[in-house]
Amino acid sequence: MIPHDILTLYTAKAVEYIFALSFLFLFIPFWKYAMGEAHPALQPAMQPARQKIADRVPDLVEWFRLARDVAYHPGHAWARAAGDGRVTVGLDDFAQKLVGPMKAIELPPVGTRLAAGEPAWRLRVDGKAVDMISPVDGVVTEVNPAVLASTDVARHDPYGEGWLLKLDAPRFEANRRGLLTGKLARTWLEEATNALRLRMAPDLGLALQDGGMPVDGIAHALDEEHWDEVAREFLLS
Amino acid sequence: MRSAAHTLTAQSSWFNEKVLLGLTPKTYVRSLLTPGNLVAGLILAIGIPVIVYRFVYGLGAATNLTQETPWGIWIGFDMLCGVALAAGGFTLASTVYIFGLKDYHAIVRPAILTAFLGYLFAVLGLLCDLGRPWNLPIPMIYSFGTTSVMFEVGWCVMLYTTVLFLEFSPAALEWLGIGEKLRQMLVKATIGLTVAAVLLSTLHQSSLGALFLLAPTKIHPLWYSPFIPVYFYISAIAAGLSMVIVESALSHRAFQERVDHHVDMAPLTVGLARAASVVLFSYCFLKLQGIADGGHWALLLTPMGYWYLFEVLGFAAVPSLLFAHGARTRNVRLVRWTAAWTVLGVIVNRLNVSVVAMNWDLVPHYVPSWMEVMTSITLVTMGVLIFRWIVNRMPILRELPQYRNAH
Repeated sequence: MIPHDILTLYTAKAVEYIFALSFLFLFIPFWKYAMGEAHPALQPAMQPARQKIADRVPDLVEWFRLARDVAYHPGHAWARAAGDGRVTVGLDDFAQKLVGPMKAIELPPVGTRLAAGEPAWRLRVDGKAVDMISPVDGVVTEVNPAVLASTDVARHDPYGEGWLLKLDAPRFEANRRGLLTGKLARTWLEEATNALRLRMAPDLGLALQDGGMPVDGIAHALDEEHWDEVAREFLLS
Repeated sequence: MRSAAHTLTAQSSWFNEKVLLGLTPKTYVRSLLTPGNLVAGLILAIGIPVIVYRFVYGLGAATNLTQETPWGIWIGFDMLCGVALAAGGFTLASTVYIFGLKDYHAIVRPAILTAFLGYLFAVLGLLCDLGRPWNLPIPMIYSFGTTSVMFEVGWCVMLYTTVLFLEFSPAALEWLGIGEKLRQMLVKATIGLTVAAVLLSTLHQSSLGALFLLAPTKIHPLWYSPFIPVYFYISAIAAGLSMVIVESALSHRAFQERVDHHVDMAPLTVGLARAASVVLFSYCFLKLQGIADGGHWALLLTPMGYWYLFEVLGFAAVPSLLFAHGARTRNVRLVRWTAAWTVLGVIVNRLNVSVVAMNWDLVPHYVPSWMEVMTSITLVTMGVLIFRWIVNRMPILRELPQYRNAH
């Protein structure tokens, strides 16, 4: 053991101070490194739970509700990852307001394989049917019995209780790149609303362009005869 | 007569439901016949008679302990490692109930159960190690050795094991569906219990290190330091966090049908890794201070020094960086392996202090007897089996619907 005479004691103290100071200096970059994120944009499913709850409360873009915690397909279907390879999908507020009160939503049975961009479920309104397309690839593991019982739930809470299907979607990470989130989703919905505005005729009788709320079933209001074609145009089906 | 038969049927269905997992006795016994259980049964079949042998014939017959080396692996492994790895209980409880990070609520119960069983089996290990275990109540009840570190450790461990039992008991009451008032009282006492847990853990985790302050000439200078209590405390936090990561990963794999699938483990694992990385980073610098304070730089270039460097760099510095990198890149797999490595590192550290560095220059050096090793393995096996028994029955990894948000 090295004896603790005065000189070695001072050296030891000096070394200790140097270590203490270098710890403090190195701690800052280390903290920043450990607390930072390598690819924050790629990992929206990893947000803390509190943020998730805040995200469930939808924003209002023009006349339509827009949930922040889901990714949107341009065909107005949304997808939300549960983090374990399972994804919940549904239709957005725009879609349900476009077609109006539905008689039924025909959902594919459990076990059906869905492909992104292909028809997935069917909205039945007034004896006509409009298909909607799947936002992701996957196999149906669960259908929402509440929606089968009454379509009202999908109209009142399209991003929550009104979900349509749960899928086992191993390719979700790849699918996600084709979906819209955050600012992009906002801009896209604004543009869709503008496109809707352009279709409006002055004699429509709706106060849409004055900022009034649209009635349920906008497509009906736009073209009573061929409303289903209008709806298909917007829903890309 | 008829009503008695009714009661009997009701009782047996209650027993089937609660204890036999809803199976008949026959199918339940058949469900136990798995390779894992066979190995566990074999360990118990050898281990329990060994423990009985130790109590019948004494320490001299069962162990390689001597007057020079009175503490072996029952202290070094069962007590020191058991208590250190159980530190996840107070770490997680304070994270959730004191610091308010409610996201971690889902893993508090498994952490507390792990801690409770860790302490229980550490105490059982201690009972094996004590020459006259029946004297244990003496310092607890009427002969307070208030100047002894051992007294402090004894009292703290006893009190904290009681606190852990109280923290754990709401889960048992929910399982049995009885004592609702008592359960509510315990839930209301959560913050008080958590404060007590932090206080008691800080005291005895460090005191376990302070025990070694009494042996400055017996412990290798690289491991002996006036900072041992601080080392033990800080490394216990890293050990507890790592143990929670490992335990939650294993539980979620082994008990898939018991797990609350609403909880996404990945962000929680990453959060724990962040905390562990910072704790280990600080720990490494404290270890450096220890060498500087003792002036033992030259000893680093001896065989014991290499082993010391391997312990500090390999089991603390490297995991600190790996945890940080894993958290940053959200590589949950890397985090889990690093946690397992850190758990091993803490075991190595405690065994280094208590066995390897203790009487390092004594020839022949203490090597545990096979019965000591067998006893330790048996105690760990019993801990794992009880953990599984409880998790399969009580609401540990998931919440019962009627108690959701009730605690």
